Amino acid sequence: MNAVALENLSKTYTGGKQAVKQIRLTLEQGEVFGFLGPNGAGKTTTVKLLNGMLAPSEGSCRVLGVNPADEPEKVHAVSGVLTEHAQMYDNLTGMQNLLFYAAVFGIPAGEGKERAKDLLRQLGLEEAKDRKLSAYSTGMRQRLSLARALIHRPQVLFLDEPTSGLDPESAQNVNQLIRELATKEGVTIFLCTHQLRYAQEICTRYGLIEEGRLLAAGTLEQLQGKIPSGTTLQIRAAHMPKGLPLRCIGKNQYETTIQCGEEIPRLVRQIVEGGGDIYYVSERKPSLEDIYFALTAKKKEAAR
Amino acid sequence: MKSAMLAIIKKDFRGVTTNKNLFTALLVVPLVLTIILPSVFVLLIHFAPDDPDIQKLVDLLPQEAQGESFELTVVRLILNFILPAFFLMIPIMTASIMAASSFVGEKERHTLETLLYCPLTVKQIFRSKVLASFLLSMMVSFISFCAMLLVLELEIFFLMGSLLLPGANWLVVLLLVSPAVSLIAITLIVRRSAKAQSVEESQQSAVFLIIPIILLVAGQFTGILLLNIWILLGIGVICAFLAWLLLKNCMGRFTYEMLLK
Repeated sequence: MNAVALENLSKTYTGGKQAVKQIRLTLEQGEVFGFLGPNGAGKTTTVKLLNGMLAPSEGSCRVLGVNPADEPEKVHAVSGVLTEHAQMYDNLTGMQNLLFYAAVFGIPAGEGKERAKDLLRQLGLEEAKDRKLSAYSTGMRQRLSLARALIHRPQVLFLDEPTSGLDPESAQNVNQLIRELATKEGVTIFLCTHQLRYAQEICTRYGLIEEGRLLAAGTLEQLQGKIPSGTTLQIRAAHMPKGLPLRCIGKNQYETTIQCGEEIPRLVRQIVEGGGDIYYVSERKPSLEDIYFALTAKKKEAAR
Repeated sequence: MKSAMLAIIKKDFRGVTTNKNLFTALLVVPLVLTIILPSVFVLLIHFAPDDPDIQKLVDLLPQEAQGESFELTVVRLILNFILPAFFLMIPIMTASIMAASSFVGEKERHTLETLLYCPLTVKQIFRSKVLASFLLSMMVSFISFCAMLLVLELEIFFLMGSLLLPGANWLVVLLLVSPAVSLIAITLIVRRSAKAQSVEESQQSAVFLIIPIILLVAGQFTGILLLNIWILLGIGVICAFLAWLLLKNCMGRFTYEMLLK
């Protein structure tokens, strides 16, 4: 069974804005799926649809086999959600907040306290646990929200910009925790972000969304195969022989686009045999950013 | 009851008791209506010179309503006929403070969405919220009644040398009218809260409930209507029916989408 499945999912708001357009997607259990796109692309709407907060206009979705439009509370019992708008109580301390949510999720008091302590320690909030939330910084709030989303050991975790407002060290801790959840506990992670570099660090598969439409989905290698401009080869060399298919991008610096790895030794041999002195050769595969921009450009061209 | 619902009720109680502004607002109305106002009445009756007009009014009352002394008769009238009408303002005010802060307050503080991500149906969340407001409202009403009785009895005992038992009217007010009125106020606020964007906006829907109570008080003072136990029972039954209708209607209509707008 797929952990998450979207079947032609669409959402049009009452004002007429079509936020999500016929998205078809499946997530396997234990994968870290990066749902990537700019602000307003439809990421948060999709999370809300997957949790039953919004009713789909067309199509359907399932989380661990449960349709959130019919039984949202069953989806909530097995999923954790972290979004910018889901905040906690300022008049309670960090610990009291977690204990409250533990109780709401039906966790017995003793077990809830142990779980809350554990999460606070893992997220570096142990010292601040008895401080009221009103005294927490943005980063601390974000980490506590993550602890709240994890309190009931969810099998699917929806994270909307989980590292927003975090300092680099905290962000690293959070990333480590996310990786461990997926690899050790088999938690499926649906991570929404507009930071493509960050997503590339942590996700195992990606979905690129723009204006509510899914542009492409797959692993990095699969996505790299979807754009025509393949790998870029950068070479630093002196006495470069003439007639080779290279672009000069600086003093003794050259660049070319190759379609496969076999082209590299052939090119290097040609340069050496032509009397060139090679100092440096680097193969740069397209990053998520390159792929995203190539795909959006392709779409715009097609629209023209 | 699910432990989750209990957790929400406890959290809502804590939300009111730890918020100084809300807690003060919760105390002021009962303090004025059950301690200050009755004391002013008792002191006026005791220290004001005998008014022949009031004496005439007392003479008009049925024989059984007339006590052993003029003072005690008037105090009994106030205790059993005037104060119950004033008292009904307490559950409305308490309910409006708690319900508005717990429903729209959650929306304002961006905590409603988090609560909706919990494994409870919208109905269960609303039931917990209504129950929390209702319990607090009833608690404040009972404590206010006990405090009022204690203060009044002490004042009557020291000033008039006797004790005065509250009439059966109070039983109907405390056990039927007050809970029903409180539920009406809560459900009206709840209904409003789905669309309201601020606490004040949702409170407005309960304010008009005060109007019939003010009319009731005016009616009692001017003698247009004498709130006897049967009239109170009738009002109580109508209010309870209305509360049940409103409660049933308001719970079925809410969706997550509507609440998060």
